[in-house]
Amino acid sequence: MNENSWFERGHVAIVTGASQGFGRAVATELAGRGIALVLDARGAELLDETARRLTEHVPVVAIAGDVTDGAHVHELIAAAERRFGRLDLVVNNASTIGRSPLPRLDQLSPAMLERIYATNVFAPLHLIQHALPLMQRNDGGTIVNVSSDAAVNAYAGWGGYGSAKAALEQLSRILAEELSGSNVRVIVADPGDMATALHRAALPDEDPAGLADPKDVAPALLHAIAAAREPFTRVVLQEQLAAR
Amino acid sequence: MSAAALIVPLGREASVPPERRGIARDEVRLLVSDRAGRRHADRSFRDLPLLLRCGDLLVANDSGTLPAALTARRADGTALGVHLSARIAEGRWIVEPRAALVAAGERVDLPEGAEITFVAPVDAGNPRLWYATVATPLPLETFLARHGRPIRYGYVSEGFPLADYQTIFARTPGSAEMPSAGRPFSARVVDGLAAAGVRVATLTLHAGVSSAERSERPMREPFRVPESTASAVNETRLRGGRVIAIGTTVVRALESAARRGAAVASAGWTDLIVTPERGVALVDGLLTGFHEPEASHLDLLRAFLDDAALRTAYIHAADSGYLWHEFGDLHLVF
Repeated sequence: MNENSWFERGHVAIVTGASQGFGRAVATELAGRGIALVLDARGAELLDETARRLTEHVPVVAIAGDVTDGAHVHELIAAAERRFGRLDLVVNNASTIGRSPLPRLDQLSPAMLERIYATNVFAPLHLIQHALPLMQRNDGGTIVNVSSDAAVNAYAGWGGYGSAKAALEQLSRILAEELSGSNVRVIVADPGDMATALHRAALPDEDPAGLADPKDVAPALLHAIAAAREPFTRVVLQEQLAAR
Repeated sequence: MSAAALIVPLGREASVPPERRGIARDEVRLLVSDRAGRRHADRSFRDLPLLLRCGDLLVANDSGTLPAALTARRADGTALGVHLSARIAEGRWIVEPRAALVAAGERVDLPEGAEITFVAPVDAGNPRLWYATVATPLPLETFLARHGRPIRYGYVSEGFPLADYQTIFARTPGSAEMPSAGRPFSARVVDGLAAAGVRVATLTLHAGVSSAERSERPMREPFRVPESTASAVNETRLRGGRVIAIGTTVVRALESAARRGAAVASAGWTDLIVTPERGVALVDGLLTGFHEPEASHLDLLRAFLDDAALRTAYIHAADSGYLWHEFGDLHLVF
């Protein structure tokens, strides 16, 4: 299967956190390949701006809300179902680092930890749970959970975010195991450091000039989606970029 | 696709309005097909609010039907039926002389000193439609109200009053033929839609006389999509609602107003022909009647249902006793 045959015009993707940064770059790449989109972000204004721009290429539904809100997740799925009647790809991209500056674990409040897990672990799983029946109604599909090297490496201050991403990765592996034999593939993608709002919040003093532009990283994710053969794949996107 | 599967089944032509068959306008039947063509459900039109969802948008044609059929007298004293099909400008129309050949320059008389002069055929190869001047001493609307009749085809049993040819949405007179998919809408159905959170927006497309032959291209028709409707369409789609066209005239007008995936306020004449190859950019579903398998109508339907699904739907409709034509039953595809 070549890259273009995976991305069939008329296929449908949900991308969370799509109003800026990596999510917006991925949505833009998908639109360029003719994939209809259901987009989510918390800020309606930025989200609508992205959606209106992409509408020139593909049908786009934009629903502002928080992925930790169960009803909002139901809305995303309902929009894919009623407007497009199918779902082929879910990109769980919406993420939070909690609070900036990043607190050490001994300073991390239970409320903040709960918020980080709610956004980075519980919300993606909730979306997946509702997406699977719709995906499996057609030809199966792909689930992408956007992670980070903080899930595998120990960086001081990244305890909340990193452990949440580690949980998301382990959950992805187990999900893939449970789905083996179905036509649903699970991908964990580590996009690496990029010049995004999340990165700015985490490391406000770092010079963004040396960081990758999400626009340059997003094509590597599309390549990984098209290339995935195994039930589970973990891909470091900037390594893929360097290798190509 | 072969039109054979889609011919009007014998005895299934609605020859009178439903009100004259003992049921209300909104009690006609409704066949509901999903666009994948897997399911066909038999409902009553009155169930429409139950079939749509909060956030969906229906778009109606608010063009009113003209009493566009007139009887003229030729110079030799014989009667000539004429249909006013489309108004080009003050006193200038596209006119269809019925069942007779006319010559360029021929003048025919209408009552009260009015007259029609045939200027030139619209299409030199097919003298069915003519550019003509229509001169009436009275304002045209008054004249038509006095002397015109709604256009009627052979399957309709008798002449019914103009009110039978108006939809609840009619605001701007100008159609030679009723935008008939809007006919079953009643105040109670519209109320039911509002209560269900389904919005209704309108546009105008003045429908000309229908193509007589399968090979004929549909004519240019004047249309207007107001800003309020263009934004309602864009907003609905952006929020995941479905845009459902009430009739093929609405599909033609809305798709004529599509620019880069969004609707923009537009007005003018459209010669757009919607085909499966072109597809539809703004419309997610279609409410339409059952009609003659004329080429342009079929092409437009095929933009919503593939050949196999369309055939299944029409066979189901024929087998289940659905009624064809403007006074008949409805088909919702979404």
